[in-house]
Amino acid sequence: MTERAIPWPMMALAVVGFAYMLLPIFVVVLAGLTAGEFLTFPPEGLSLRWVAAFLQSEKYLSAFFFSFRLALMTMVVATILGTAAALFLARSNVVGKAALRAFFLSPVVLPGVVVGFALFAFFIYSGMGLSRTIWGLWIGHILYSTPYVIGTVGAALAAYDDSLEEAARSLGASPWRAFRKVTLPNISQGIQAGSIFAFIVSFGQFEVSLFLSAPNAEPLPIAMYNSLRYQFDPSAAAAGIFAITLVIASVLLTNRLVNIRRLLGRQQGQ
Amino acid sequence: MTEATAARATGARLAAPALSRARLTWLLVVPLLVFLTVFFVIPVGLLFATSLNPQTIGQVTVTSDLTLDNYLRFFSRSNYLLATGRSVALGAIVAAVTLVVAYPMAFVIAKTAHPGRNTALLILVLAAMQLDMVIRLYGMMVILGDEGLVNQMLRGIGLIGAESSVQLMYNFLGVVLGLVQFALPFMILTLVGVIRGIDPSLEEAARSLGASRRRAFFRVTLPMSLPGILSGSLLVFALSISSYIVPALMGGFRVGVLPIHIFQQVAEGARFQFGATIAVILFLLSAGAVAIYLRVGARASGGRA
Amino acid sequence: MTRKLITPTRRTLLKGGAAAALSAPFINHAWAQDVTYDGEVFDAGDATINIGEWGGGWEEFVRAALVDQFEEDFNCTVNWDSSFPWFPKFVTQGPQNPVFDICNWNLPNLTQTKQAGDYFLTTDEVRENVPNAANCWEFAFASGAGVTWAYMPYVYAYRTDIEGGPVDSFRAFWDPRFAGKRGTYGTENGLMHAFFMATAREYGDDQYDMAAAFQALEEAMPMKVSEFTFNMLSLIERGEVDVAVHIEGEALSLQRKGVPMDVWLWDSRPILTQTKTISRYSDPMQKKLAFALMNRTLSPEFLNAFGDEFLWRPTNSEAQITAVLAEAGVENTPEAVEAFWVPDWDFFVENKLEITDRLNGIFGL
Repeated sequence: MTERAIPWPMMALAVVGFAYMLLPIFVVVLAGLTAGEFLTFPPEGLSLRWVAAFLQSEKYLSAFFFSFRLALMTMVVATILGTAAALFLARSNVVGKAALRAFFLSPVVLPGVVVGFALFAFFIYSGMGLSRTIWGLWIGHILYSTPYVIGTVGAALAAYDDSLEEAARSLGASPWRAFRKVTLPNISQGIQAGSIFAFIVSFGQFEVSLFLSAPNAEPLPIAMYNSLRYQFDPSAAAAGIFAITLVIASVLLTNRLVNIRRLLGRQQGQ
Repeated sequence: MTEATAARATGARLAAPALSRARLTWLLVVPLLVFLTVFFVIPVGLLFATSLNPQTIGQVTVTSDLTLDNYLRFFSRSNYLLATGRSVALGAIVAAVTLVVAYPMAFVIAKTAHPGRNTALLILVLAAMQLDMVIRLYGMMVILGDEGLVNQMLRGIGLIGAESSVQLMYNFLGVVLGLVQFALPFMILTLVGVIRGIDPSLEEAARSLGASRRRAFFRVTLPMSLPGILSGSLLVFALSISSYIVPALMGGFRVGVLPIHIFQQVAEGARFQFGATIAVILFLLSAGAVAIYLRVGARASGGRA
Repeated sequence: MTRKLITPTRRTLLKGGAAAALSAPFINHAWAQDVTYDGEVFDAGDATINIGEWGGGWEEFVRAALVDQFEEDFNCTVNWDSSFPWFPKFVTQGPQNPVFDICNWNLPNLTQTKQAGDYFLTTDEVRENVPNAANCWEFAFASGAGVTWAYMPYVYAYRTDIEGGPVDSFRAFWDPRFAGKRGTYGTENGLMHAFFMATAREYGDDQYDMAAAFQALEEAMPMKVSEFTFNMLSLIERGEVDVAVHIEGEALSLQRKGVPMDVWLWDSRPILTQTKTISRYSDPMQKKLAFALMNRTLSPEFLNAFGDEFLWRPTNSEAQITAVLAEAGVENTPEAVEAFWVPDWDFFVENKLEITDRLNGIFGL
């Protein structure tokens, strides 16, 4: 398949879409690179002073890495729970499957503040000791991220014909091996997208964290919201620039790693 | 194909492995069921139950003092009813607009074979998700505000007077524009996986049978991406109907939707019982919408299978 | 206008508290002991104190200027939590199980919590145990449940490049030239609450004249509504808003950055305050640490440093007004502070449900 297969009206629409999606981001990034004292567009000259200020700010940086860790922890659990549940939904013939699917998605139709507050109150009167701890916060984030994984993996599974796996099993593969060698590669796009969502939803989560965040361990969106109440500087934009840089680096890095593995795999195959 | 059918037949004949397989299948869902029951059904259920108690500031647990006052209050005030309608409309409109804007983007990403270009496009999508909403609002304001780039452009080409401006923010339209921008990456990433999973030989087959490219797309590719369309628009619907921060900031605190009222009651007024009442209503509405959607979706994709 | 005071009696509160204590056996009852503090440094034996205060750059500054040294001197750990809002957290956990030992508030939220139960030590109880409070102006104790340590007058921030001259009266906000270019804050924002009370006082008989305030605010529509003073500054900077409700120091920071704007202090002289409360049912060691931290917060050294950084004015008569404000004629003298007005937040909170509903209606929420 070559890119010539993309018809031009599709291409034109996509360009407009990308412009719409990226223009606000572009504005903030430029504004954050200002050499001036405050967030302004167009920026007053370009410099990295606010990115440097962000990197020197113990508060922002620790909030950033706390959020990063929390998002990774959330991603791992949400991806496992969500993928397993999506597999179940795709394969089981149990009655009320549609209701079960709707039930799994239900945490996200409620505003995060409802879920966050309900958990906060529950932790307190149940005496679970999870109130305002990182574990309680983690639980809230998992609740809110798992539906995204179920959605994307479910979509990938719906487009995939599971008789392939059965064929592999009939040829003598163990269930796990058949799943790993046949199904997994086919739905990996969906799992990847789902885990990215889980990460992003957790990383950007403000409402669920509002009641659940623990002292001395604030997620970045909360730290930013609290900081922007009383300060008018481009550090928040700088945090975004830093995050975008990290994304670019990690995508390039994983690509490189995957390429190397492919290269090695090919050599082994020969 | 024949092999697979044969395998299925074999599987059906052998009862024992089928049984163990069913048990295995259940194992997949038990962890999530337990997790959701303990940390979602019970806490949120208890909170919902308080909506039947009289409004008492600071009271969070359920009492035996039952009343429908909170619901009467909700249904007797036009601003809550208006907010209800607005929330549902917002979810539906944003899901539809996002789908239309995202599909061509996802299609282009899915069909871009060159690894470098593909990675670049993927990075762009991921980068769009990295900015905190509060700061993203600044970018939206620079573009869509009364003195923003769009209005300056309209003035420049003389479409509107030098002193006037088109309201693209601080109203319902602004909330839609903000939510679409926010939701696009979610829709795109859901669609890319599905579009890429479509066997290209199917479209080629359709074309070799004489279908035009446009016809092949509308008859083969688009229907084949239905699972992604359903799942993506459902996610975006849920995201939009439950969002507080985007309607608050893009609507300039003047577009009443249910999450804003819930936030006011719970986070700012500590009026938990009434907040719970609004949450129950929002939940029932969304659950109803999701159920209808899943049913319609099942019928639509059922026709294909 | 009749005023209803819904203050729960102490007895009912204690009864409720006893019930809560029975159902939650892990709560420590040591709070019954009296704690006194004389201003001396003591060894807290590695205790931890929970505080609620704003985050971000504010936290970074206060930690560096005050808290780090405090932890070292008193051998304790400060658990800092900036995840506002505190009010629902306090009422969910109940008075006996305080979220924070010492907490920093704006007055409307503080009063809401104070009215919801026996959460805080009274102003008198705090005063007796905080030596530096002796030098504070009387309005620092207006809340009845804490000590105010810093404040800023409310102002209009307006662009100076608009036609029709500078803003010079409270009613100028309503000038037709500002149609669609007026800026205020969301229904639940403290600045909006103060604007509401000041509007009642200006357009009605007194600050209790809610009907007059509702009508005046309706006439000010369409306004641009923001949630942060930060966001409001960008609205002014970009010309989306020409006149906005704001606070002195923060608005002036925009002027210092070269934006053509100025401020006008409301002639009713209301102030936005930073007030710290100490929780009644904190454990003795935490309570003693809270007294000590309150004492250091009220010290001229800290207040001076804080004023230099954020342009807040100090409530301690021994502290100084920062140079930028002093050059503009701001003073810290009995005459200068006499005119300040602390709106009747008890009245506001008692009528909050109605005010919220009506403001929502005016904004179209």
